[in-house]
Amino acid sequence: MITQTIMGIVLATSGDGAPLWLLAAGPAGAVATYWSLFRYYRNNDKLHAFERDTLIKAQPVQGAEDKVDHIAKTRDSDIDGDISSKHRQRVQRID
Amino acid sequence: MTQEAPGDAQQPRDPDAPVFDGPPLSLEEELAARTEPAPGPDIDTVNESLANGLNRCPKCGSTDVRLRSSTAMLVCLFCRHEWQEARVEEEFGLGEGIDELQGTVVAGGADAISDDDVMTLTCGGCGADVVVDTAHALNARCHWCRHTLNVNDQTPNGAVPDAVLPFRLTRDEAVEKIREFASKRRLLAHARFKKEFVPENVLGVYLPYLVIDARAEAAYVGTGEVQTRCWTEKQGDNSVTYYAADIYRVDRSVTFTVDDLTIEGAADRAQFDGSTTNNIVNTVLPFDTKNAVKWNSSYLVGFTSEKRDLDVGDLQPVLTDQLLSIGRSQVHDSLSKFDRGVRWEQEQVDVGGSRWVSMYVPVWLYSYYQEDTRMLHYIAVNARTGETMGSVPVSQWKLITAALTVGTFLEGIAGAILVATA
Repeated sequence: MITQTIMGIVLATSGDGAPLWLLAAGPAGAVATYWSLFRYYRNNDKLHAFERDTLIKAQPVQGAEDKVDHIAKTRDSDIDGDISSKHRQRVQRID
Repeated sequence: MTQEAPGDAQQPRDPDAPVFDGPPLSLEEELAARTEPAPGPDIDTVNESLANGLNRCPKCGSTDVRLRSSTAMLVCLFCRHEWQEARVEEEFGLGEGIDELQGTVVAGGADAISDDDVMTLTCGGCGADVVVDTAHALNARCHWCRHTLNVNDQTPNGAVPDAVLPFRLTRDEAVEKIREFASKRRLLAHARFKKEFVPENVLGVYLPYLVIDARAEAAYVGTGEVQTRCWTEKQGDNSVTYYAADIYRVDRSVTFTVDDLTIEGAADRAQFDGSTTNNIVNTVLPFDTKNAVKWNSSYLVGFTSEKRDLDVGDLQPVLTDQLLSIGRSQVHDSLSKFDRGVRWEQEQVDVGGSRWVSMYVPVWLYSYYQEDTRMLHYIAVNARTGETMGSVPVSQWKLITAALTVGTFLEGIAGAILVATA
């Protein structure tokens, strides 16, 4: 993890960012170390993965997609509020 | 075959004549007689071979019966005869017809709960009345003749479930699992926890769960984006990456069935908000619920149990939430086109049918109360699969020292790189 953090920061400096970004490596590494060790001991982020571990039989997925607009130029590399993998984050319910 | 009385043969009765069937009933008795009998449960899971009181060995009649964890069978401590109850999966057809379920089908042991916890059992050995607080135990020793008494009838307080999944992991195996789990986390563990850690204090507990089969259709509407172009522009000394994308309105729907979805039946453990360690016990799921057997309180002898206090009505929102999550995971693979992601905005679930069965599942629990944070920590072992999860109190000053050490090391490297490239 430490190596990955260092590599990430070094790679960042070779691209857009200024070399001064490197100064954030220490505090960022300290915070990351704290939280990863805390989670290893407390496991407060773990829950039963019922989406994966329950016996599920599903019919083929139905659906459609219609192009409604186009973004010509943006600096965002992904959509705002991407929750395609956050299955437990609830949105507005339709009755 | 019935035999006709000699007197009736000599004087045949006029079929239109009124029949005298006793004195007329009072108004209250008449109304009571006309009242429809209370409807029974949708699935009757009562173990007809047992009644409250003595559970006798079918071979020798002894009441010294308990679970042998290594074989998951009941054993008579007197004659060593071993047997087990039938699996509920086949006995009550719980694995069948999920795709044809209609409405909410509730087994007898998952019915609504009342608050009456105390039961009086009459000892079949000596006739003494023995009081059992079913909130905490479903077995008791007769204080006179030492027979073991059992609660086998389905009580309205939620203490007797439809099925029980017997312990399979022995206590020694559980102690070893807990020791192994904690030993991997010794370095930064709280000093007092390390000092007071005695895994032999582990307790075998039957925890109440509702096991649900359901048929549902889920639908989702949202926005997805597909990247069409990516390029870099120079801005002074820096280069900036830009993207172009097409925006789509996305809708998906999926019909599915779930088999044995397992939800907490006790309110105290059903909240996972971070202020408790409830998630630890939840994480050792799933259990092999297909192997659950018909209720027999002899499986609980030597273990503690926790009473179910949540009704089917209380848990319907949890079920629909989980079905929505399952539906979302099912449609996930159909979204690979949207490489910039999908933002779901609306969702809907239609539960066509669900079947609810209450069940006791076995967990070995080691608990530790951390006084300074008032946090109850657990190390829990799934007593069927051996899966272990826990929360170990951590020493904050050790943790901060470790974090600062790593931070300082990284800052040193960063400084060296900056100096070298200056």
